[in-house]
Amino acid sequence: MALDNKILDEINELKRKYEDERSCLLPALYLFQREYGWLSPEALERVAEILNIPKATVKGVSTFYAMFSHKPMGRHLIQLCTNVACMIMGGERLLDILKGRYGLEPNLTTPDRRFSLVIMECIGACDTAPAMLVDTDLHGNLTEENIIGILERYE
Amino acid sequence: MITVTINGTKITFVKPVTILEAARAAGIDIPTLCHHDALKPYGGCRLCLVEIEKVPRLQTSCSQQVSDGMVVRTETEKVVEARRAVLEFLLINHPLDCSHCDKAGECELQDLAVKYGPATGRFAESKRKYPENFEDPLIVRNRERCILCSRCVRMCDDVQGASALCVANRGSKAYVEPFSGGRYDCEYCGNCLSVCPVGAITSRLHRHGYRPWLMEREVATVCSYCGVGCSLVLQVRNNSVVRSVPGTDPGFNKGILCARGRFGYDCVNNGDKLSVPLMRRDGELEPVTWEEAITHIAHRLEEIKRDNGSDAVAGIISGRCTNEDAYVFQKFLRGAIGTNNIDSVAGLAYGPAQRFFERIFGQGVTANYVHGISNSDGIFVIGGDPTAVNPVLGLQIRSAHKKGVPVIVIGYPGGLKRFSKHTFITSSPAETVLLAALVSEVRQMKSFPGERPAFDEIISGLQPVPLKSAAEVGRFGLNELIDMANTLSNMTNPSIIIGRDIVQTSTGHMNLLFLAALAYLLNGKVYLLSELPNEQGLLDMGCQPDMLPSGRPLAIESFRKRCEETLGIVLPSTPGLDYAEMIEAAHVGKIKALYVMGEDAALSLPDTNYVRDALRNIEFLVVQDRFLTETARHADVVLPALSWAEKEGTYTNLERRIQLTRKAVEGEGIEEWKIISEISKILGLDTGYRDVTDVFAEITRISHIYREVTHDHIAGGKCMWPYGGGPLRHDAHIEGVDLPDIISVMKNSEAGGVHVRREAHLFHSQNASRFSPALQSISPEPYVKMSEILADRLSIRSGDYVKVSTEAGSITLAAYRDPCLPENIVLIPPFEKGGIFEVTKWKVNPLINVPVLDGSRATIGE
Amino acid sequence: MNSRESVLLKNADRPGPAGIDEYGEWGGYRSLHKALSMEPGQVLDEVKKSGLRGRGGAGFPTGMKWSFAVADPQTQKYLLCNADEGEPGTFKDRIIIEKNPHLLIEGMVISAYAVGAASGYIYLRGEYPKAKDILLRAIKEAYEKNYLGDSILGKGVVFHLHIHCGAGAYICGEETALIESLEGKRGQPRIKPPFPVNEGFSSKPTVVNNVETLANIPYILEIGGDEYAKIGSPECPGLKLFSVSGHVKRPGVYELPMGVTLREIIYTHCGGIRGDRKLKGVIPGGVSTPVLLPDTIDCPMDFFHLGKVGSMLGSGAVIVFDETVDMVKVCLRITKFFEHESCGKCTPCREGVSWLRAVLERMSNGSGRGGDKDLLTEVSNNIAGKTFCPLGENAAAAVQSFVNNFGDEFKEKIKSG
Ligand SMILES: Cc1cc2nc3c(=O)[nH]c(=O)nc-3n(C[C@H](O)[C@H](O)[C@H](O)COP(=O)(O)O)c2cc1C
Ligand code: SF4
Ligand code: FES
Repeated sequence: MALDNKILDEINELKRKYEDERSCLLPALYLFQREYGWLSPEALERVAEILNIPKATVKGVSTFYAMFSHKPMGRHLIQLCTNVACMIMGGERLLDILKGRYGLEPNLTTPDRRFSLVIMECIGACDTAPAMLVDTDLHGNLTEENIIGILERYE
Repeated sequence: MITVTINGTKITFVKPVTILEAARAAGIDIPTLCHHDALKPYGGCRLCLVEIEKVPRLQTSCSQQVSDGMVVRTETEKVVEARRAVLEFLLINHPLDCSHCDKAGECELQDLAVKYGPATGRFAESKRKYPENFEDPLIVRNRERCILCSRCVRMCDDVQGASALCVANRGSKAYVEPFSGGRYDCEYCGNCLSVCPVGAITSRLHRHGYRPWLMEREVATVCSYCGVGCSLVLQVRNNSVVRSVPGTDPGFNKGILCARGRFGYDCVNNGDKLSVPLMRRDGELEPVTWEEAITHIAHRLEEIKRDNGSDAVAGIISGRCTNEDAYVFQKFLRGAIGTNNIDSVAGLAYGPAQRFFERIFGQGVTANYVHGISNSDGIFVIGGDPTAVNPVLGLQIRSAHKKGVPVIVIGYPGGLKRFSKHTFITSSPAETVLLAALVSEVRQMKSFPGERPAFDEIISGLQPVPLKSAAEVGRFGLNELIDMANTLSNMTNPSIIIGRDIVQTSTGHMNLLFLAALAYLLNGKVYLLSELPNEQGLLDMGCQPDMLPSGRPLAIESFRKRCEETLGIVLPSTPGLDYAEMIEAAHVGKIKALYVMGEDAALSLPDTNYVRDALRNIEFLVVQDRFLTETARHADVVLPALSWAEKEGTYTNLERRIQLTRKAVEGEGIEEWKIISEISKILGLDTGYRDVTDVFAEITRISHIYREVTHDHIAGGKCMWPYGGGPLRHDAHIEGVDLPDIISVMKNSEAGGVHVRREAHLFHSQNASRFSPALQSISPEPYVKMSEILADRLSIRSGDYVKVSTEAGSITLAAYRDPCLPENIVLIPPFEKGGIFEVTKWKVNPLINVPVLDGSRATIGE
Repeated sequence: MNSRESVLLKNADRPGPAGIDEYGEWGGYRSLHKALSMEPGQVLDEVKKSGLRGRGGAGFPTGMKWSFAVADPQTQKYLLCNADEGEPGTFKDRIIIEKNPHLLIEGMVISAYAVGAASGYIYLRGEYPKAKDILLRAIKEAYEKNYLGDSILGKGVVFHLHIHCGAGAYICGEETALIESLEGKRGQPRIKPPFPVNEGFSSKPTVVNNVETLANIPYILEIGGDEYAKIGSPECPGLKLFSVSGHVKRPGVYELPMGVTLREIIYTHCGGIRGDRKLKGVIPGGVSTPVLLPDTIDCPMDFFHLGKVGSMLGSGAVIVFDETVDMVKVCLRITKFFEHESCGKCTPCREGVSWLRAVLERMSNGSGRGGDKDLLTEVSNNIAGKTFCPLGENAAAAVQSFVNNFGDEFKEKIKSG
């Protein structure tokens, strides 16, 4: 895996934050995910090498956390909440809309790689339920009518 | 004092223990699954719940410590209900396929289900389904049976330190797997197999072939792969070893093994083993009877002795032979033939190194407990990766590292990569310069202990070498080196662990002197890595050209005379040839007859072509072995020997612990010592041994170090050096030690080029592993490891084939990139074909009489 | 309450976070000056006197927790802020961080001073990327103004603060799992004892506090512990944030005194049920707390009183259900949540919760079987009291509460199947 020095620099920067390099693991995984969109086996191996952590251990850690993806993702990640508050406020019906409009189902990516969809447990926006995160943007008070308009802003 | 009441019984403890430990001490059984004595408490399975008075919730006894006045109940209705509930949960997804599960009969879950009643079948959904994984050659994983106790993962992380397994995902979707998801990329210690309570991880070696109730015998013995000598138990059925499991006594390996001990037993059952004697007729090896073979050997030896003198005969013995074999062998050569031409693989590094240290510090200086390593305050490793050469000893280093003990590695760290504070890899001459510089540095920081003034003088006479020069020669960062030197100087009772790569070089004698100086200045304990199970025993038995049994020099006439009297024979008094000299003598036709007991010279010595020529040049070559090895293929007579699992005897390990090897199965050959006794008899020396204990009894009469030891003593655990009395260390005899000329070493190291160095290999230790299909399957192909820089320069990717050429020859190998290597070093392991010895030129260091591996520079690529 | 100016929610109704200057204009960092002019022990005493209990869910007395860490002889200590806010229904910590980050930072510096911690981390949930940016900026500002660093306010007090992001694991809100996660491991809870106050991050004494807990500290210093203790319930006094969601007219976060009743929250502050429908049930403290029936909404909201009616205050996340809600579906959704979030370490949670979900799923699909309602009760009883950490426990309790309170609806599902 060709790795630009930027990530290495950032990881070295991280090492200063913690006494033990092992603590850099989650942030380092984030960096690789940001850079490549997902965590391939090669990426996990690189992280293991850089931080001197066994690669199996890295895998055990990274697969524990729901926000790390271990398969390629689309350009934009839709994280739709369906937990209780969003569910009773109509969140589940939004799934049908996404399916109808983009053929998108949970844990899948559209064929044009524009969107990937994951179902979230609560994203802390229950006052504006139903809500979703698209990449890092929070959108609340979703309705069957407005959700497509919002998504269309993401190319 | 802590007093607790468990089920009405009061028990008192001095130290805090867990409730589980307390209960077990009181003979009360509490069911557990995730708990394992070798591992830290985990508290995951929840089976060991107990009731504690005044505590509202049930508590897990495996993790909860007792406190004074605590009242515990382990079998109340509430507790039993809870266990039933937990068992039901475990069984809802566990397949009920006990009938064809390899764990049946020793499955902890099965036992518990029997005890607490099976689940009532309220779970109406279908169980989780996953296919069994057969991608690995040795280990099958069955995810359906896994109960996620994580014992395997914790064993792999915390005890073995290989960290090759993980729990992936979480919650009900969690499962255990290696990084690849298929094949393991690990050390194959198989300790995960030992700790899995169910049939989730099983061995392919005895798939559907092992059932505890079908085993006919369990034989407690010692592993025959390396000088650590782990205790193991061989399980036997139909005269074949079905499985080997770690033993608990008397070795210190307590429940763990390495790949060789775990899987290497299949060499005993290998169908290619020899079953009848072979004799060369018209150029071909043909089967003959034992009688024919033995008479022929005796007559030919008699002839050669008559025509060319006793010293035209020589003998080489393998480090895999027992003390009894070794003793009888040397007695035969000395008493029946009349020559001191006897040596072994121990003469190639282990022996010379030990001799060097004993000369300065006295006999027994290297006899140190392996478990002492993890208690030292620093570890200095040089000359080979201990986790590959002596794996279970290597674990001690890892555990020390985990405790925060600084570990310094000079040379390729291999399995110590994540377990060392400082690592320095360089060429062999640069290592010598580095050692010289370290001695200079430590000498400035520490004063002489003053115990051995003669040695003080030698150290004072050494040329000082600044760290800066060492850094330049070795291409190290100076700051790193200074850091390391400081770490080293701060050690006050380090373990100094020495492998053969530091001995088998042109500057090996200097290295030993510097290491002795470091050990002396730092108050260190010296450990010599030993690649074969009985190298120490061979030395003790006198399989050396200038030493009699018990490591006494031939030159001490009084001792020789005493031996002659005791045995009623005459012993030749001039020293014989050592291993390297025998090969050289064979080359020039001075050795006419060579008797080889279990050794494969072609795989022990550098320059395979040279060794082959030497073997071809021998008029009469006898080989006793289990297989038709390369050396055996050159022989005139080949005698089938027995493996360690087929005979009784003793091994002496690198700590000088004597241990019994026991017969587990009936072999087709004859014990080595018995064959020799027969030949000896024809030559006029009747040994009169009825069995192996007679041989051992004679050993204890001759050797004052084994005095009064019996097989019974050994079985009872009285087997640690010094066996019968106080330590035998004496004053230094160090006259005549040459002061090294370090300046010329520096000059020599400046020459450029790529150095080929040996990689100690976990799965290809020496010849026995070749006959274990299991070990072969792990890593079947020879390879060369190189730095990323070199690989980039030559555009080599991992897996590409490259040609490695030196003046000794050239081989084509798969290349692997290893980021930890420097640019000027490549590593090649020993291999039957394509190993390091094919590209190392024959050369001997005359000061310690060992063939060396350094000196040739290689070119890589076409 | 209306008479009191917002403390924790200051700036909450404006867009964007308050910068350090703005925060200063409101009197920000004055409490820090005050604290540093006192001995650490005196600061600790004020917090003890305030009667403040942790706002992360368990309600452990904050002063007592600190004093354990202070008593530990090791000198290197850590302060961790639990900003994992994963409890479904909860969004109060996010508001504090996004609107008034310096309140948290000031609270942390004072707390670190009191417990003797020279470094700290904010463990921020991964789902709050905006909050991360805001905090990063605020921390930078605080360093520039010498509120963080090697000699805070020139007094030689050292405190360094970093952010560490979680990555989507609710269990990492549990303090020992949080520490594991911060150490780069799987977020599985640790065996206790040792407790974090003695052996936490890097095996050093570690205090873990919730965002809201820490955000209360500057105010306690400002008005004094005794004065703070007079707010709200005598048993567990102070200000509390309630995140209200579901079928109310005005969902949102409310800063109210402890002991306010659910009725007041729903009907006074949130304007009642949407469409003026009937209240069917309410979860008072996030999905980890048992659901309550309308007849208990006069219960004061605090750690003490909610326990008496069979629930818990938890994180104070009130989820309101009107009469249209299918309670079996809600119960299923909650159980799915716990199944997804179970770390998998212990048997009852890993296997039992998954079993509960399976039964609820078939009931919800209309293919429930006779005995399923009792099965839910039995399986959850078999989980209860046997799990390693409260997550599994709470999952069982949630199901029990739904089955007990809405039993008829569960029976209905079987009949219709
Ligand atoms: C499963 C589980 C999840 C938790 N999640 C959170 C959380 O998201 N935020 C939080 O502050 N505390 C959470 N807690 C409570 C913490 O373990 C801990 O009690 C709290 O952070 C201590 O801070 P406090 O004393 O200030 O409340 C959780 C506990 C459990 C068992
Ligand atoms: S109850 Fe057990 S499995 Fe569930 S989250 Fe806690 S430790 Fe993990
Ligand atoms: S043995 Fe105690 S919880 Fe597993």
